[in-house]
Amino acid sequence: MKTIAILLLTGTSLLSHAGTPQQIGQAYAQEASSQIPGFSASAARGKDFFHRRFDVNAKMPGCTACHTDNPLAVGQHAVTGKAIRPLAVSANGERLSDPAKVEKWFGRNCKEVLGRACNAAEKADFVAYMSEAR
Amino acid sequence: MQKILVWDWPVRIGHWLMVGGFVIAWLTSESETFRLLHVWSGSAVISVAAFRLIWGVVGTRHARFSSFVRGPRAVLAYLGSLLRLQPRHHTGHNPAGGWAIVALLALGVLTGASGWATYNELGGHWLEELHEGLAAAMLAVVLVHLAGVFSGSLLHGENLVRAMLTGRKAGEPGEAISSARPLAAVTLLAWLLTASWWLTS
Repeated sequence: MKTIAILLLTGTSLLSHAGTPQQIGQAYAQEASSQIPGFSASAARGKDFFHRRFDVNAKMPGCTACHTDNPLAVGQHAVTGKAIRPLAVSANGERLSDPAKVEKWFGRNCKEVLGRACNAAEKADFVAYMSEAR
Repeated sequence: MQKILVWDWPVRIGHWLMVGGFVIAWLTSESETFRLLHVWSGSAVISVAAFRLIWGVVGTRHARFSSFVRGPRAVLAYLGSLLRLQPRHHTGHNPAGGWAIVALLALGVLTGASGWATYNELGGHWLEELHEGLAAAMLAVVLVHLAGVFSGSLLHGENLVRAMLTGRKAGEPGEAISSARPLAAVTLLAWLLTASWWLTS
């Protein structure tokens, strides 16, 4: 019985790669500090990034095109009109809990909205903002 | 043997609709800008695959599953004859190709269904992962199917891609189908529009 419980726990942790916003932010900050000596994540810089217009994609000039100006609010997909749950952890507890999912959506959305991959510093700042936004 | 009509219109049109749908869905899979195109092309794949499952029971001779779904022994015998570079000719699908078709139809339905459920947020992140896994499996079968079509075409000296366009293959006159079933093809297109409209709304 105990063995089964341990196996199940290992299995679920392997499948979901559970993490906390702090752990995910820390990993990006660590990666960023290897590129920028003395780097420290900043929610203020993350907020600025979130509100920036990149103007690469006409339908999605920036993050706010779908996620609105307020990361605590429910967003709306600029193309399909579908609702998007809030990005901020305080408004949506599921956010920033799965490192693989976070990395996947940075990969997809940065490429499309910025026209390039986001660097570790931008990701660390963004995660800091979404963890702290109230 | 001579050139006879083997593939009816629903088989041929359905085949190329699935090709187009799958290619477009794959190319737009990571895009939000083309998300609606992705949803429409995926709907085409699942709609056509679902139609083909029924056509595999009520369709013309060589379109029926009963005519081309064979046991593992027949598949191994055919693959063996391929390896000896002397493939046994089949007027309809060969036994290996038959299983590729069954797998592609099943994956077309499952990938489409999981994509539809993801789009309508009926499940969590796992549904998204399942959808991507199924699509990757379908791409793998597509590549095996293509390898089979090209090697089969070369070894049989018969252009199987053209056969899927014209419907004509080498065979005995008695094996030909009597009609290309144009009305059924119109039904397929009407079903495609109806089902896609429902799936994407």
